[in-house]
Amino acid sequence: MSADDSSLARCPNCGENAAPRARFCENCGTPLGTTEASAPSEVTLELAPTVVDPDPATGDSAARRSCAACGGIIAPDGYCADCGTPGQSERDHFEERPADWVAGVCDRGVRHARNEDAMALAAGGTFAALVVCDGVSSAPDSDVASLAASRAARDVLVAYGPEGSSSVEGATSRRIAGWTDAMVAASRAAGQAVRGAAEQLAATKGTDVADDPPSCTFVAAVVDNGLIVAGWLGDSRVYWLPDAGQAEQLSVDDSWAQEMIAAGVPRAQAETSPQAHAITRWLGPDAPDTDARCAATLPTGPGWLLVCSDGLWNYCSDAHEMSDLVQRFATSGDPHTTAAALVRWANAQGGRDNITAALARVSPAVTEQR
Amino acid sequence: MAEFSAEVFQNEFLSDGGTDVHAVVTVTCTGAGSAAAAGASPGAAGVAEIVAVDTSGSMQGRNMEAAKHAAAVAVDQIPDGTLFAIIGGSHVATRIFPYPNARVPMVAMEPGARHEAKRAISTMAAGGGTAISSWLRLADDLFATVPVAQKHLILLTDGKNESEPTMHLDRMIADVTGHFQCDARGVGDRWVVEELRKISTALLGTVDLIARPEDIAEDFSALVRKSMARGVAAVDLRVWAPQGSDVLFVKQVAPEVDDLTGRRTQVNALTSAYPTGAWADETREYHVAVRVPAKPVGSEQLAARVQVAVGDEVAASGLVKAKWSDDSTLTARISPEVAHYTGQAELASAIQEGLAAKAAGDEATATVKLGRAVQLAAETGNDEATSRLRKIVEVENEEEGTVRLKRNTAKLDEMALDTASTKTTRVRRA
Repeated sequence: MSADDSSLARCPNCGENAAPRARFCENCGTPLGTTEASAPSEVTLELAPTVVDPDPATGDSAARRSCAACGGIIAPDGYCADCGTPGQSERDHFEERPADWVAGVCDRGVRHARNEDAMALAAGGTFAALVVCDGVSSAPDSDVASLAASRAARDVLVAYGPEGSSSVEGATSRRIAGWTDAMVAASRAAGQAVRGAAEQLAATKGTDVADDPPSCTFVAAVVDNGLIVAGWLGDSRVYWLPDAGQAEQLSVDDSWAQEMIAAGVPRAQAETSPQAHAITRWLGPDAPDTDARCAATLPTGPGWLLVCSDGLWNYCSDAHEMSDLVQRFATSGDPHTTAAALVRWANAQGGRDNITAALARVSPAVTEQR
Repeated sequence: MAEFSAEVFQNEFLSDGGTDVHAVVTVTCTGAGSAAAAGASPGAAGVAEIVAVDTSGSMQGRNMEAAKHAAAVAVDQIPDGTLFAIIGGSHVATRIFPYPNARVPMVAMEPGARHEAKRAISTMAAGGGTAISSWLRLADDLFATVPVAQKHLILLTDGKNESEPTMHLDRMIADVTGHFQCDARGVGDRWVVEELRKISTALLGTVDLIARPEDIAEDFSALVRKSMARGVAAVDLRVWAPQGSDVLFVKQVAPEVDDLTGRRTQVNALTSAYPTGAWADETREYHVAVRVPAKPVGSEQLAARVQVAVGDEVAASGLVKAKWSDDSTLTARISPEVAHYTGQAELASAIQEGLAAKAAGDEATATVKLGRAVQLAAETGNDEATSRLRKIVEVENEEEGTVRLKRNTAKLDEMALDTASTKTTRVRRA
């Protein structure tokens, strides 16, 4: 295959147009033919920050890791002592639970060699910030970029939160405006973090930052005293799934598929087209702009706020179906076990992409506090 | 201090829906020391050696004289400090040394005991029938009185176990299994390979043919040396397999084929143990096959942990993996080690089944089986098997495995082929 051919590569499995040098098909997760980028570089490992997976009860990070598949213990040889599933690195699978009503799980999935999704959560009182970034797998080191981006954005959102230095306050309309500004500030900070990581990687490797820069999507949601504000670039999503009433997708994908849907093509057809997963906005040194688009909603009853990557919604795109799915796994009412169940479910569907599911249980009790 | 290492050879890639994982695990022991050294201090360590010689009427003459000489040579080879005894076996078993009237069932070797033992051996006379179960019972009784870790019996016969029902012997083998190891030897052509193989297989030893009586002494001497070199007692091969999987088989494939599957004991819910007896500085290879539930393409799964356990301590372990892939260039490869030993194991059973068919007068089956054996011996480069087979069959086409049975073959040649059928050649590694 010549270099020219590879830039026009299609997925051998589903026919999706592959991005140049993409290592996996964005549609079905089939590994694509390029090999040069498949081995994780040492730089990646060095720069990937350690993500601890603290025990929710004790706050200790577990010395004995547990198996993501069966809950058994990972033996010193790196495999589960019960079911033999390989233990995952902390970057490959991590979980966060900043409050008992907010938790998320970020997982490598089945088909990808690395977890290029990232997640950063914060919560306190009636406030929560949930950020998910999905690294673009055609660019190397997107796992580093996505983690840096998600954490930078979360820190900005926390600064606008009730305990932060520039708290958003006032009447609902003022708070919507305030959080919209905060979202844009967060997405810009995330973009800056990606650029910073890219420059650092390029400097370490001695390459030009313009060659194959790492990039990622951005999606965030804030819960602030009964108000939900979402912000995004790309095709990671925010769903509001009330226990009663209409489920809705708050974010609107910046994707080719969405543009076709907007032009009148049925959703199912648009989302399965070969171009469907091409995103039109993203974070990265080559991104035209990094200002998140925003949407707000004021829930009238309890429900689930879901922030997720396409590794989950690829298997369940429609908001009503997503609502049914979440309700199915949410019997305990616990966001942590529910998010873990959603990730396991996506893996059982084939796990063709990295999977992130972050949930906040928004209940009247929470919205009435304060 | 003995050290074990385990190395795994396999193709870990399975195609979509694939469930069966095969691997060859090479286990090597170094620094085993010697059994005698371990026995220098009294206690649980150390070694006990018994030589049981057939004294039935058929031994009369050259065989008896050769066996007596061989037993004397064995006594010479047993190092000082080793507990030992000599048994004479016919339709009953007699303790030749220590003398039947001695108060201790086994004595530690020292120059005086060696001298007396040889004198006792020289008084053995042939007479009576053959009931091997009584020999095993006496050996077991004697071994039971000594608190040593390693117990080894050398058993020599020249005839069929004709003075008792087969069931007696089978029951006795089951009774003494796990108590001691036994190498069984047949001299001449009137003993039955299958009978002695039953004993040696269950008792983790070898079976061999000694064609000429004058060769017994050298063989005994080698057996005692080998036994003394086994400085590590009671080694288990352990196989962990994941929840929901089945261990299809565990076979030793080198230096000899020995199916361990039936000797399984449970360590815990997911781990089974297979006894391998005592080890010297040596390498043995095992073929392990595990059936795991299929996982989606792209998944990885540990299919087995193969461990070497000395007592309760895991001394070495190897990981057998499964990775599902839709890349047929990866999944279609067969590990050369697995292919080689699969062929060698099939070779052993083709020879044994072919000879059994021939003995039963089923020439058609014998021709097919031995033909297949010729083909496999050539494919796997087992020249020894090839030359033994050529004494029994006329080879028409080695590649296709077409043969004709030779007429008037020597019984000894058939027995030699049979006893050697389980010996394997090592895989050639580039």
